[in-house]
Amino acid sequence: MTHLSLSNISKQFANNTVVQDFNLEVDKGEFVSFLGPSGCGKTTTLRMIAGFEVPTTGTVTLEGKDITNKAPNQRNVGMVFKAYALFPNMTVAQNIGFGLKVRRENKETIQATVNEMLALIHLEQRGDSYPYQLSGGQQQRVALARALANHPEVLLLDEPLSALDAKIRVQLRAEIRAIQKKLGITAIYVTHDQEEALSISDRIVVMYEGKIEQVGSPFEIYNFPQTAFVAGFVGTLNTTTAEVVDPAAHLLQIDGVQLQAAEGLEDKQRGDKVTIAIRPERFNFVAVEKKANILDCKIENITFLGSVVRIQVAVGSNRFYMDTFNNPFLALPKIGDADQVTCSREAVLVLRQ
Amino acid sequence: MKRGKAWAWFIMFLGVLYFFLPLVATFIFSLKARLGELSFQAYANIFNSPQFLYNFGASVIWAVLTIIVGILLLVPTAFVIRLRVPQFRSPVEFITLLPFVIPPIVYVFGLVRTYSQPPLLIVNSPFLLIAGYTILSMPYMYRSVDTGLRSIDVRTLTEAAQSLGAGWGTILFSVILPNIRTAILSGAFLSFAIVIGELILAQYLVKPAFAPYMAYVMEQKAFEPAAMAIVSFALTWIAMGIIQMVGRGRGIQVGGGH
Repeated sequence: MTHLSLSNISKQFANNTVVQDFNLEVDKGEFVSFLGPSGCGKTTTLRMIAGFEVPTTGTVTLEGKDITNKAPNQRNVGMVFKAYALFPNMTVAQNIGFGLKVRRENKETIQATVNEMLALIHLEQRGDSYPYQLSGGQQQRVALARALANHPEVLLLDEPLSALDAKIRVQLRAEIRAIQKKLGITAIYVTHDQEEALSISDRIVVMYEGKIEQVGSPFEIYNFPQTAFVAGFVGTLNTTTAEVVDPAAHLLQIDGVQLQAAEGLEDKQRGDKVTIAIRPERFNFVAVEKKANILDCKIENITFLGSVVRIQVAVGSNRFYMDTFNNPFLALPKIGDADQVTCSREAVLVLRQ
Repeated sequence: MKRGKAWAWFIMFLGVLYFFLPLVATFIFSLKARLGELSFQAYANIFNSPQFLYNFGASVIWAVLTIIVGILLLVPTAFVIRLRVPQFRSPVEFITLLPFVIPPIVYVFGLVRTYSQPPLLIVNSPFLLIAGYTILSMPYMYRSVDTGLRSIDVRTLTEAAQSLGAGWGTILFSVILPNIRTAILSGAFLSFAIVIGELILAQYLVKPAFAPYMAYVMEQKAFEPAAMAIVSFALTWIAMGIIQMVGRGRGIQVGGGH
C-alpha cells in the first residue's frame, strides 16, 4: 500500500532546475535510499518531503493526503540531520521529549516515551547529559530517538552518518536499519555512499542532475544498472563502446573481437553503437574450452585490495578490470603475460543511452 | 630575547599607567572631601542625595526598558535575516552602525524637530527617549546578537524544531534565545553602560538621567562629580565582569564541536 507518494515533482531555484520529473511511490514500512553525487537533487527532494522546500510543480502525498503546501511543523515527519542538530541548551532527555512537549503531552507520557527511546538507542544512563558530553555517534543516536519519539509517519535521514568515522558509520547504519524494521516505520535515507545505500535499503533511487536514473532493489541496482551513470556510480564497472553485429543473436564487436550479450539489443540495428558494461568480478581467466566471449588480453597491472585482487588487462585498445577473490594459494599471472579472459553472456550489460 | 621581553613589559606598564593613572587620580581626589584626611565623604554625599538616587534610578529604568525594546526588536530581526533573507545582512549591518557616524547632537536635534509638531507630538514622552537610547545602543546589541547567532547553526536547529512540530514562538524562545543567552547578555550590559553614560539625549529631551545630573553637579561641586565618575566606572566594570562570568558558563555546541 502506497504510504508516501511524490508525483511529477520539480524544483527550481531562480533559473536552476535542481529536481525534475520526480515520481516515486513508497510503501508503508519501506526503507528507500536516495543515492547520487553532490548536487544531484537528493537532499532537495528530501527537504520537499519535510516541507522545508515547496515544489515548483507536483504533489507530495502522505497517507493519501496532499501535504505539498503544509508547513513542516504540520506534517508529522521526523528528520535526522547530517549535523545532528541537537539543541545544545537541553539535556538528552529534554531533546528527545521536545516534540512531545510541543504537542503538550502530559509529563508521564513524555517521561515514558523518553525512557523507551533511550532504551531503544542504548543510552539509558545518558538522559541527563548535554549533547556536548556525547560522542558523535551517541549524538546521532539521540537525534534519531528525538525524531522517532513523536511517532512520525515518515522518518527522513539526511546523510546522518557522513560526519562519523568509518567504523561507527557501519555500526550505526545497522542500528538504524534494525530500529526502522522494529518500528515498521517508512524511512527515506539520503546518501552519496553507495555501500551505505546497498547495505541498508529495500529500494534505491539513483539520482543524477535532478532526475531519477534508476529505481530498484540493491541487487537490481548493482547487477542490472540500466544507465551508464548508474553503472559507473554504483560499484566498479568496465564500460566501453561496442558495435552491434547481429541484434537477433545479441552479438557485438569490440576492437574486432566478438562478444555476446543475453539481452538489450532488441531495438538495435546492425552497425549501431552501444555502451556495454561488465563488472570486474564477472571476468574469469579462460580455464576450459569456451566458444563465446573469449577475449585475448595482456596483463597490465595487479593490485591487492585485501579480500580481492584486482587485475587490469588490456583488450585491444580497452582497459578492463577483473576481480578475483584473494587466497594464499592463488596463482596470479605476471604483468606483461598474454592471456585470455571470458565472461558469461549475462555479464555483458547493454546500457540505456 | 630577554631584552624584547623587558620592552614588552615596559610598553605594557606604560599602557596601564595611561589607563589607570587618571582613574587613580580621580579616585584619590574623590576621597579628599574632608580637609586634611582621606574619606568616603563625597560618596556618602552622593548616595544620600535624593537627586542622585532619583536621576540614577531613572537611568536604570531607561536602561532596562532600552534593553527590553532592543531584544524584542533586534533578536527577531537578526534571526530572520540569518534564516530567511541573508542578502539583507550587509545593508542591515550598515544601518545598525549608523549611530557610530551620526553625532548624538545631530540625532537628538532631528528627533526634537520631527516629534515636536503635530501629528507626532511626542517629544515629551519617555517613549521617545527609550526609542533614542535603543537606536544609540543598536550597534552593540545587534552585533552581540548576530555574533551569538553565528555561533550556532540557526537554520538546522530551526528546521529540527520545525520537524518536531514547533511553531515560530517555541523555536525563538525555547531553542534560539537560550542558545544565544550569553550574546544577549553581552548586548544588554553594553546597552546598560551606554544608557547610564549618555548625556545629550536625556539633556535635550529634558528627562531625568544620571549623566546630565553628573554634568550639573560638576558645575556646583568639586569632589562629588569625581565620586560619581568612579561609581559609574565601577558599574560599567561590574557589568563587564558579569558578562565574563556568564560567558564562562556552558559553551555553545553544535555538530560535535564546542
